[in-house]
Amino acid sequence: MLFNSLTFVVFFIVVVVLFWAIRSWSWKKNMLLVASYVFYGAWNPPFALLLLFSTFIDYIAGAKMAAEERPFARRVWLVISLVANLGLLGFFKYGGFFVHNMEGFLVQMGVQYRAPAIDVILPVGISFYTFQTLSYTLDIYRRKLAPAASFRDFALYVAFFPQLVAGPIVRAIDFLPQCVTQTPPRAGRFAWGMFLMTLGLFQKVVLADTLLASSSDSVFGYGGKLAMLDAWTGVLGFSAQIFFDFSGYSTCAIGLAMCLGFYLNDNFRFPYAAVGFSDFWRRWHISLSTWLRDYLYIPMGGNRHGAWRTGLNLVVLMFLGGLWHGAAWTFVVWGLIHGFYLVVEHTLRTLFGDPRFFSTLLSKIAIGLLTYVAVCFAWVFFRAQDFGTAWRIVESMVGITGTADKLLSTRELLQVGIVTVALLTAHWLMRETSIEDVAARTPKWLIAGVWATMLFFIILTQGSANAFIYFQF
Amino acid sequence: MPWTGLAVAAYIIAAVVTIAWEFRVRSEGYAPTLNDTTDLWADRREAVRPDSLVVIGDSRPLFDIDFDALEAVLGKRPVQLAIAGSGAYPILDDLANDESFKGDVIISLVPAMFMTPGGYLEQASRDALKRYKSRGPAQRFSHHIAMFLEERIAFLQQEDLTLGMLLQDINIPNRPGALVPPRFPPYFQTADRERRVRMADECAIVGSPMQQSVVASWQRLFRPPAPPSWIPPEVFFEQLQKGMEARFGESAAAIAKIRARGGRVVWVRFPHTGWVKEMENVGTPRAPTWDRMIKETGAPGIHFEDHPELAGFDCPEWSHLSGPDSVEFSKRLAPHLKRAFEEQQPKS
Repeated sequence: MLFNSLTFVVFFIVVVVLFWAIRSWSWKKNMLLVASYVFYGAWNPPFALLLLFSTFIDYIAGAKMAAEERPFARRVWLVISLVANLGLLGFFKYGGFFVHNMEGFLVQMGVQYRAPAIDVILPVGISFYTFQTLSYTLDIYRRKLAPAASFRDFALYVAFFPQLVAGPIVRAIDFLPQCVTQTPPRAGRFAWGMFLMTLGLFQKVVLADTLLASSSDSVFGYGGKLAMLDAWTGVLGFSAQIFFDFSGYSTCAIGLAMCLGFYLNDNFRFPYAAVGFSDFWRRWHISLSTWLRDYLYIPMGGNRHGAWRTGLNLVVLMFLGGLWHGAAWTFVVWGLIHGFYLVVEHTLRTLFGDPRFFSTLLSKIAIGLLTYVAVCFAWVFFRAQDFGTAWRIVESMVGITGTADKLLSTRELLQVGIVTVALLTAHWLMRETSIEDVAARTPKWLIAGVWATMLFFIILTQGSANAFIYFQF
Repeated sequence: MPWTGLAVAAYIIAAVVTIAWEFRVRSEGYAPTLNDTTDLWADRREAVRPDSLVVIGDSRPLFDIDFDALEAVLGKRPVQLAIAGSGAYPILDDLANDESFKGDVIISLVPAMFMTPGGYLEQASRDALKRYKSRGPAQRFSHHIAMFLEERIAFLQQEDLTLGMLLQDINIPNRPGALVPPRFPPYFQTADRERRVRMADECAIVGSPMQQSVVASWQRLFRPPAPPSWIPPEVFFEQLQKGMEARFGESAAAIAKIRARGGRVVWVRFPHTGWVKEMENVGTPRAPTWDRMIKETGAPGIHFEDHPELAGFDCPEWSHLSGPDSVEFSKRLAPHLKRAFEEQQPKS
């Protein structure tokens, strides 16, 4: 069920009415659990069983690990959890990719092998809920977390519909305590949640789908050489589109959770105002980057074993981060490019420290713009369906194509240009603050006007929008 | 911050502006009608039974076929699976590979659309098929709510009045040589849940702004597109020719499958006039397209020009019949269809 669908509007109204009508906190949670499975099963009912299986395995593994004192037995339960979760993820997401590459490798070795065709549908959100449940068992293994008090609470943590299919990736340590006692419902908090949902939907259906998607789809779907202006417009359009699409989903999820009395952490903090790449990853998809940091980078040694090892860890981390996004080499290259960026930044910091020059506003803006341009270059590999397309667009961006086609209309050029300038300006003005702080300083009449305008524009799109990009991951 | 009060104010303002917008679009001549979406098509595809009478093709059968008129003569109510701006071969192929289907098929043949392999024309059919085969419970439910609303609210008009389409209407000159595709014609039809499409009354008036606007759209759309810049023109046209050649054999094979199960197929060339007819006659002359398709597939064909009672209709915007004419045309077409079906192998 998409947030930007009429089914969801009805679903949301029913859930909210029930949530506010039911008095018992326990029954509220029961209702939310059933609603979450309805939400997930509405896509493809059998996949709800997969979600239940994953939940069941991790609940048992968590409980057994917590009760067990012998290190070997604890490790066995952790391995069971890892194998079950990563096995499902591997089968559904990477099975075809692995077989395809194996075939290619064997052909290179002179062996003609044709594997039987595998037609597997990727369960929506499996990458997200797998990482979420893994954080639970890993935290219990490290004795940082006590197991969930009840299966129902744990199942609700895994399946909680606002963030189930596209994040934020919520940690059990943040969510489970909220299940124990209910935050007293307040009308103002509910209304703020509604504002966030409106803002998130506006980002998705108006900005990402209506103003930006056509330019990036045209450019990345074109088979010929593109004029430099068109290539840049397509790439800038996509970099804004993916931000509004994904940040829009996260904002909706946070707002929706708030309407139901739950608090989820921010997933984005104005990332296109990042000064440097480590700053970018502190601001972009925060729940994934902190997950990778806590469960991969630090256990691998982090930055504690010298410059070479730190660099290697960063590259491996970003390689896996790229692969998490999709079973294709273009995603891997996107991750490796970011790994390279991080290594270069880390090396420069090691060599030169943080000179005073870099703390001036002007130099921050210059480095910020450099970061943004480098991030945009990396997006080319993320968005392109193959390397041929990616190279063609990079060639066009640097202007070495010779005669090239002008693909986009003036209207599309203007839409992307205006939205990009507005996006960068907003991120720079808000980089040290939050939406809540800005709202608190804004006149009431302006908030009401902006809110109404967003609602009207959402209605004008008429639900002709696409699925969220991150659903495919 | 008093968020509850702000929420109430925002929703009231948005509601007032939305109601004002509804009045505005109604004053411009828009009326509530269903959007002809892939979901609506998927509903009709699901309505196909083993012995159904199915209509496939482009926009002409959508506008020109009246279900009551055909049902009165043929004894079966047609299921409308034609799609505007589409190449229908993928739909024919789908029916041919549906082992349960043993019914009758009316195929509209606009050669430049049916025979062009790949591209956005066939994509329209593939998108509809994909929706039919993959939509889940949530998408079905959304579609039913959408139909309920579209039948009551005029501004829910996806061909003209979405934010994206309104932005497209802002007239900003493009760069010289920019490869910007022409906009599809504006809203000029209504549709119901059976996908019975009728031309809007204003469009049937020659010289009216809507008719002029649609005619101008055809003049932009009906020109053959330039070959893509990354393929040498001679290679492109050779590939296109090969694809069109192959379409004869592919169609014959698909029709043979349907007929082998006891199904029956009839080709129909629907009326078109004026500049559109001139363009089609030049680009896709009758003998190497229509005549050859009838011969190679072995299915009978009804060409509107071969029958005086079908040839005298005028298409107000050169490509489709007006609502009243579509009823009369269907009444006159039905006996021809009955004869064409009956002259084929009797159904097993």
